[in-house]
Amino acid sequence: MNNEELKAYIESNYASLMTFCESGKYDLWFEVKADNLVRVCQKLKDDPELLIDYFCNLGGVDTTENFEAVYNLASSKKKIRIDLKVVLPHENPSVDSVQTIWPAANWYEREMWELYGIQVNNHDNLTRFLLPDDWDQGYPMRKDWDAPDFIRFPDL
Amino acid sequence: MSDLRTEEYDLNMGPHHPSTHGVCRLLLTMDGERVVKVVPYIGYLHRAIEKICENRSYAMCIPMLDRFEYVTSMSCNQVFSLAAERLAGIEVPERAEYLRVIMLELNRIASHLIFFGTTAMDIGALTPFLYALREREDIIDLFEMTCGQRLTYNYIRIGGVSKDIPEEFTPRCRKTIANITEKVEEYKRLLNGNPIWKMRTIGIGKLDADLALAYGASGPILRASGVDYDLRRDDPYSIYDRFDFNIPIYHNGDVYDRYMIRLDEIQESCKIVGQALDSIVEGPIKAKVSPNFKPPAGETYTRIENSRGEMGVHLVSDGSKKPFRLKARGGSYPHLQLLPEIATNCMIADLVAIFASFDVILPEVDR
Amino acid sequence: MIAIGITVALTELLGSFGLSGGLLSVITYTILAAGTFGLLSVLALFLVWWERKVAGHMQQRFGPMRNGWHGWYQTLMDGLKLLQKEDILVATRDKVVFFWAPVMCCIAAFAAYIVIPFGDGLIVADLNIGVLYIMAITTFTVIALLMAGWGSNNKYALLGGMRSAAQVVSYEVPMVASILVVVLYAGSLSTVDIVNSQSGNFLNWNIFRLPFGPIAFITFLIAAVAEANRTPFDLAEAEQELVAGFNIEYSGMKFAMFFLAEFINLFTVSAITVILFLGGWHGFAFIPTFVWFFMKTFAIVFLLIMVRWTYPRMRVDQLMEFAWKVLVPITFLNIIVAAIFKHFGWYWEL
Repeated sequence: MNNEELKAYIESNYASLMTFCESGKYDLWFEVKADNLVRVCQKLKDDPELLIDYFCNLGGVDTTENFEAVYNLASSKKKIRIDLKVVLPHENPSVDSVQTIWPAANWYEREMWELYGIQVNNHDNLTRFLLPDDWDQGYPMRKDWDAPDFIRFPDL
Repeated sequence: MSDLRTEEYDLNMGPHHPSTHGVCRLLLTMDGERVVKVVPYIGYLHRAIEKICENRSYAMCIPMLDRFEYVTSMSCNQVFSLAAERLAGIEVPERAEYLRVIMLELNRIASHLIFFGTTAMDIGALTPFLYALREREDIIDLFEMTCGQRLTYNYIRIGGVSKDIPEEFTPRCRKTIANITEKVEEYKRLLNGNPIWKMRTIGIGKLDADLALAYGASGPILRASGVDYDLRRDDPYSIYDRFDFNIPIYHNGDVYDRYMIRLDEIQESCKIVGQALDSIVEGPIKAKVSPNFKPPAGETYTRIENSRGEMGVHLVSDGSKKPFRLKARGGSYPHLQLLPEIATNCMIADLVAIFASFDVILPEVDR
Repeated sequence: MIAIGITVALTELLGSFGLSGGLLSVITYTILAAGTFGLLSVLALFLVWWERKVAGHMQQRFGPMRNGWHGWYQTLMDGLKLLQKEDILVATRDKVVFFWAPVMCCIAAFAAYIVIPFGDGLIVADLNIGVLYIMAITTFTVIALLMAGWGSNNKYALLGGMRSAAQVVSYEVPMVASILVVVLYAGSLSTVDIVNSQSGNFLNWNIFRLPFGPIAFITFLIAAVAEANRTPFDLAEAEQELVAGFNIEYSGMKFAMFFLAEFINLFTVSAITVILFLGGWHGFAFIPTFVWFFMKTFAIVFLLIMVRWTYPRMRVDQLMEFAWKVLVPITFLNIIVAAIFKHFGWYWEL
């Protein structure tokens, strides 16, 4: 299945759950509502046409207006790849954990919580691991985070 | 006597331990020699590469990412350049693609050689490490000859490569890969017939295909468990579709298979390098890319097959000179996460063997 | 046939100065002990250097090259360095046990040399229970390692100590069982008698003469490697698992003593192998007997070094299985077969 076919398939079968977004030309990006996330992921994994069984990556993005949680997914059997994007408000962002579907998400969610402050619901072990245990200086990957010893390059 | 009893105890393995390959800390709950529970603690090498890259221009990110996975920094260069090229729609000249493939595969061989040496060393055979490093040295010399660097190359740039190969590169490279193909057979003779080696590796740390997939294992570890998934073929990038190579698959998913698959991959990579040297074309080595490289706004998740598995970059551009967001995904991160799943209830010596067979590299985990 | 022993010669020499009684034997044995100690220290220095050279050449490198011709006094310099090093003491150690462990290790290693004949007559004391004495005294090493593991108050050290205890106790059984075959044929526990029973042609060496002698030799050698805590049985140290095992908390001279004892033990097991199976000091032609002894022993040492740098390490449970399920049955079977052969006289004596 190439990208066009995949896009057509998802738009016909998942119209109510996923909306196509234009953000990437090379890959397929879909936006998912935070409430639907776990349902969509489970469906994608179980769909015999897609069989999204492989969790590549999860990262947060701080777009300064809101947060995005970006799920990069793939199928090892169908050799396809799609990306999901969950847009979250800047105040109290929270997203449901998908580790029941892909256990691999565990550490990625922990990392996103730690670096972006995006709360992950139903996560079994939301503790610090990249930053020191007693870290209390906020969420360093946010765009508004600043530290005295962090040197910003002037405009290049 | 009645108050005498046995109890489990905690053992801190790392951050400074010879076989944690860097500064990983494993908190082990032990029952005598048996490991009851493993909890990995990471972050000792967290250098905030992703945050720093947000303040660098695209060209300046490449040397940063060299430090992301320093054993195969060619592939770090490649994955970032590829992502930036995909964002900006840059066509890479043909010769540059060939040079990239040659360098990537040589680097994969070098990395697998390190794996071979360190795994043998962790299982107690000290000598193969020196043999592996001797062969790796030839490859490193080739890199030094080309780009002047031995570890962090900064060779593959956005739009091409930084330098063309010198004249004496081709004959030396042919000699090196012929030598390595031969030496891999020697390694197999050295260890595979050894009953102690077999006792220590066969059936140890079994990882079945479902668990491997669920935990996002990739690369040789996934293929050793019987999942035929190689991004060079299944999510093609660069010009890998032009070469004829096999993707070795093993089915037991134990330490022995993870070791064998890497030795086989070395030979396959040698084949690819040989074919690339045969069919390389003349031409420019770099597309015209402005020093003020500004890709249009957009985002991509680009991934390539690295010696440790899938290496990916999630790159977001807002149309400025700096990446808006860069998330680097290394193969070791999910592998380390997987470790507690298969390393519980094994002996401490097996834990070391399993950890070695995952070929985890900590800078890649901590970033 | 026996030349005048060195002990007798020394006693006579000192007696001619008018010494007698208890004082005479005290002085005699002190001189002999000092001589043995000096010899063994030099030997250990040489063995460390040799092991490093062999390892280096096996691994495509040179090994020590800087100090003297091919680094011949490298170990001496290492020893001097260790002498000068600070003796780091862990605050939570068990003071008495921690201090005495290396001492005990060294004593156990050196004491075995009382009954080892370096050549014809070159023996400190020809005890009539020589072999038994060696087995008993070398086992003290395990107590020393256990003490080191316990006294360091470190989990890795304790694991190392426990491993070595389990290992040495297990391998003692096949080792003694292999020796018993030799004792059966020699009819004596004295090392001198055992060597003398192998005099004459090299076909008279126990390895060839005994029925299934090679089996006894190999089982003995395997058990001896395990006793000496060397790869593939170096579980007590196991750098990759237990960091350094029992000697993790030791530094300076205390560490050097463990190191010294390790290499003395290496020489001991090789020497015992030569005495029991390879005809001890016996050779042919005009070459002095002690030269023969050292040549054979160094050959065995070389073999053990080669093994160390070739094999991976076994796991602790596999090690135990190997001892109890493979070595013990084989050696016991060997004893029974040897006894039957001995009873019917199915062996040659040239």
